[in-house]
This record gives sequence, C-alpha cells and structure tokens, in this order.
Amino acid sequence: MLLKLNLGRPIHALVSWHLKTSCNITRPIHTASVVLFWERDPKGGYLRDKPKYPTTQLIRDGLKELKDEIRLWKDEVTEHFECDPILAFRPGETDIIWQFNDPASLERWVTTSDSDHNEGYSTCDLSLSKGGKGLFTGTLSTQTPKDGRVKKAGYCNMRSMRPRKSFKRDAYFDWRMYSHIVLRVRGDGRSYMLNITTMGYFDIMWNDIYTYALFTRGGPYWQLSKIPFSKFFLTSKGRIQDKQNAIPLDKVTNIGITAVDKINGPFHLEIDYIGLEFDPTHKEEFAYEMYTMPKYLVGV
Amino acid sequence: MIRIFENRDIHRRGHVEFIYAALRHMEVFGVHKDLEVYKSLIDVLPKGKFIPTNIFQAEFQHYPKQQQCIIDLLEQMEDNGVMPDPEMESLLINIFGKRGHPVRKYWRMMYWMPKFKNISPWPLPNPVPNDSFELAKMAIQRISSLDLQTKITVYQASELPDSIDDTWIVSAQSPVQKELLDAHPHDVSIFVEGAFRVWLRTASVSYFILRADPRPKPKPPPSDMDDVGNLRIPFFEMPSPGQELMKPPSVHEQEDGTIFAVCATGTSSRDSLLSWIRCLEADGNTALAEIPILFTLKSPLGEVVPISDTGESSEDKNITSGTDKLDS
Repeated sequence: MLLKLNLGRPIHALVSWHLKTSCNITRPIHTASVVLFWERDPKGGYLRDKPKYPTTQLIRDGLKELKDEIRLWKDEVTEHFECDPILAFRPGETDIIWQFNDPASLERWVTTSDSDHNEGYSTCDLSLSKGGKGLFTGTLSTQTPKDGRVKKAGYCNMRSMRPRKSFKRDAYFDWRMYSHIVLRVRGDGRSYMLNITTMGYFDIMWNDIYTYALFTRGGPYWQLSKIPFSKFFLTSKGRIQDKQNAIPLDKVTNIGITAVDKINGPFHLEIDYIGLEFDPTHKEEFAYEMYTMPKYLVGV
Repeated sequence: MIRIFENRDIHRRGHVEFIYAALRHMEVFGVHKDLEVYKSLIDVLPKGKFIPTNIFQAEFQHYPKQQQCIIDLLEQMEDNGVMPDPEMESLLINIFGKRGHPVRKYWRMMYWMPKFKNISPWPLPNPVPNDSFELAKMAIQRISSLDLQTKITVYQASELPDSIDDTWIVSAQSPVQKELLDAHPHDVSIFVEGAFRVWLRTASVSYFILRADPRPKPKPPPSDMDDVGNLRIPFFEMPSPGQELMKPPSVHEQEDGTIFAVCATGTSSRDSLLSWIRCLEADGNTALAEIPILFTLKSPLGEVVPISDTGESSEDKNITSGTDKLDS
C-alpha cells in the first residue's frame, strides 16, 4: 500500500484503503492475490468470470467480423487520402456528438449499476422516452447487501462506448478545439455526475476520469447545460486526486452520466443530445488553483 | 455518551472501538450531520501522544489504527456533506501532528468541499424544510425559474364553492402563458397531467402541468424550385401580404407540448386539480371556461407518479414527506 503511494495516485490508497480494495475484489477466493504494484486488468477484476471460448470458435467468429472491419479500414484509408479534416470550428455552434433519437443511438451506450455484480440494489435502464428522446431512468438504493464486503452502494451509470478504428483498434476522441460540453436534458431536480474518461496506456491511468456535476432543474422544461471543460477535475476510482491537471482533450475515450446522490428513490433524466461547443471568449484553462505544497505531503 | 466515555477511566482505553461504534450509530441518533459531534469524537483521542517524532514515523502512519479511524470519521463527514471548520484542524494537528494523514485528509476536504458547496445554479437550503407547503413553493419556484416573469400564486381550495378538499394550491403562470392560453383554439382540448416528481435534495414533490399538444408549425407553401418563370427580385420588394409571419416560440412552447401552468397541491387529488383549474379561470384565464380539459394520468413528458383519489400512496417516505396526505 505504501509503495503504491510512492508510485503515483495515492489518495485512495491512503484515505480509504479498506473501502477501495474491498470493492475491487469481486470473488472472495481471489483475496490472496491483491496486487499493489500494478493492476491486472482494466476492469478491476470484474470480468474475471467471463466465459472462455475455444480458439477454433474465436477464429470462426473473428473471420465473420473481417468483412465489416475491412470496410471500416477502407473508409479510413479513403479519409486519409482525402485529407480533409474539419478546421473551422465556428463559435456558438454546437456540434452534436450523441443524439438520442432512435434505438440505434442507444446501442452506443452501456448502463451499469451496483446490482450488476450483486453489490447493491440499484437498477437502471436507458431507453427511448415517449417523446423519442433518450431516457435514463432507474431506482437508486443505498442499501448494501449484507455480505460483509460491500461498504457502500448506490450508483447507476451510463457510459458511451469507446471509439475505435478498424480491426478493433482503440481510438480517442480529439476535442481539443472545443471549450464546452453542451447537454440538452430534462431532469428531475437531482444532480448527476458527468464523467469524461481519458483512459491512458499505463495501469495508473486506466481509471482517470474527469468529473463535474450536472445539475438539473426538474420540471417539464428542457434545460441546456453548457459546462466548460476547464471545470472538470481529475478523479480515479471515485477519489479526487491531489495532483490535478486540465483534461487532456485529445485523449477522451468515454463519456458517462452517473446518478450517485445518495438519495433513495427513482430518478429520471431525459437526454436530447450531448454536443460540443467552441467558445473563444472562454479563456480559462483550469478552474482550480494549484498550490505548491511542502514536499512529500500530498500525492507524489 | 461521549462524556460518559471520557469520565469512565483515567487511562481512557479503546478509543478506536468507541469511535467506530459511535460512527455506526450516529444516524440512529440523528446527529450524522452535526459537526460538533464529530469534533467531540475526535477530541476523545489524547493530544500529543500520536505525534510522530521522526520522518519514518510520519510517513509510515504512526499509530495506524487511530489514524485510519479518524480518516474514516472524516470520510463519513464527507459522505454526509458536513464541512469541517478550522477548530477541527487545530484539534487534528494537536493529536496527529502536522504531517498526520488525517490532517492531510482534512486539508483535502477543506480544499474541495467549499468549492462545490454552492455551485448549484438552483440553490436550496440545507437541510430542506419539512413542511410540505414550503417544499411545494420551493419546487414550483424552481421549475418556473426559467421564465422570470412567472408569478407564483397560492390558492386555497376552500375559497371556492363546492370544493371537497380543503387544501392549498401553489400555482405558477407567467403572462406569456396567459397569452398562449388565450390564443389557444377553443375546440382543441388541453390536458392536466401528472403527477411528476421533482427532487429537492432528499424530499420529492409531486407537481402537475396544464399542457396542450404542440402547435403545428406553419408550412411554407409548396414551391417548385426548378421553375424559373417566376423569379423574385428582392431589391424593391415590400413584404407582401402573402408572406406569413410567426412569433418566435416562447420557452413554454416545446416540441412535446405547450405548457400553460404548473402547480403542486396539498393533496395531489383530482378534486384539488379541479379547484386549481377553477382558480386559474377566476384569475384571468377566461378561456378555460370554454376549452375542454382532460385529466390524464399519462403523459408524453415522462413517467408519472400514480395518484389515487385518496391522495398519495405512502410507499415511499420521501414522497409522503413531499406532499401532505389527505386525512381520509
């Protein structure tokens, strides 16, 4: 634990070591093999029981995917030779990245909640509302299962799929030209967490999530939330980090909305679109002041 | 309780166990949001004994059980939204020294918590009041805050003749909405929909809306783009009477309907909604006398909280605290 402290992201190791480690272990049988120096897989052990398929079947399934992948690759090559990237980002215009208007648009999102791994009783669902918009609903419950392992519960989360290139290669969103994220939502008065994941290459960067709050007014009217990227702060595994920096907008992998406000009951968030905007008048790079602290006092 | 513990033994052993036990039961006693209680819990620990004397002790958690215990206490404060004060800092420094891990945790909390305390654009008192009438007023004010001209009126159903429920009705309507309602065609029905739920911190309030289906947008007359026989020269042209003008839609005209008014009533019953409509009619919306009004429990705006004529169901504590139950 203390060596991890010197390696990098320390506070969760220090502040609630009990909570975090206990949450990461999904199966009691694996308790002996908690690795403190490195992380075994990006899912924190949650997909350990994923079924393993025989190699022949994997090859057969992989060949089926080949056709689509080659088509993607062809498009990429064409785009490369056309060499016509967007260069003009007009201020005041919202470029919509995710529009929730048909069932196909919902397939690019994954919902998770603590009941997925028997770590709580919250449930959630992303569907289309009667008005044809995305609807993130569910019930939040902070009740913990009495298994002596889970200390806290109560989250529902929706997360976009990671962008990728052909042949299942990972890609990133490049949002460096934008300054704001714009959401058109209709909520229920609760506040939600807005997460932008910038999953890095090394294991200490796997859980880098930049977070800010999304407040909703509630009521029958739609609201337009325009949040500057400079306000997002770095968290890792739910802990605000000591060493902060502005979000690297060329390394964005996912975006998510989480309901975790510790209020038991149903929640209801309707989403029209999530977009990006370039506002040249917004000069702030990072909203949080960075004090120089005495040596070795905060995250090294 | 803490005083009893302090006076029990001069050696005062078992701090950690005592603090953990106290933390577990704080919510039962209703003191989980009380800063003074947390401070007096920390005060149980002896001063000076846990201060490290060299760098190795400082970095390797001198007295780890005690430090972790206080870190957990601070964590619980954080979870309950209790912000520490400078007195707690001096207390922690006296117990664990300047480099103690609880002190570091305190500094982190004092860096971040004030930053997020007041960022909500719709601020609410903390804790929100228990009175359902105050809650309803706050909720309606919050919902209608996007139109600054909105007037919030409180009607008493008992003032109307033949009303069954004697309850209050908090209603919000802006002049724009009144104009929209006046302009509404008298043969097209409008709907009273609800109840929808709005959360004010831990309390939820049920509200109802008066809504009409969206007005169809005027379509431009069909024109043949390939026909060049009738080219317009727009230099000396005055706006012709054939051109259609349209008011820009107000915030109340959304794609899923026009909202004429919002209300919350004390009983959330159908009779109180009827009283609401009659109050609105008496309050300058004369068109309501002629427009057919449908009371629906379904809405395209989203999921509704089922209501019965006896008032709210009492399955959820939060909801019942939000709206009064009918004393039936």
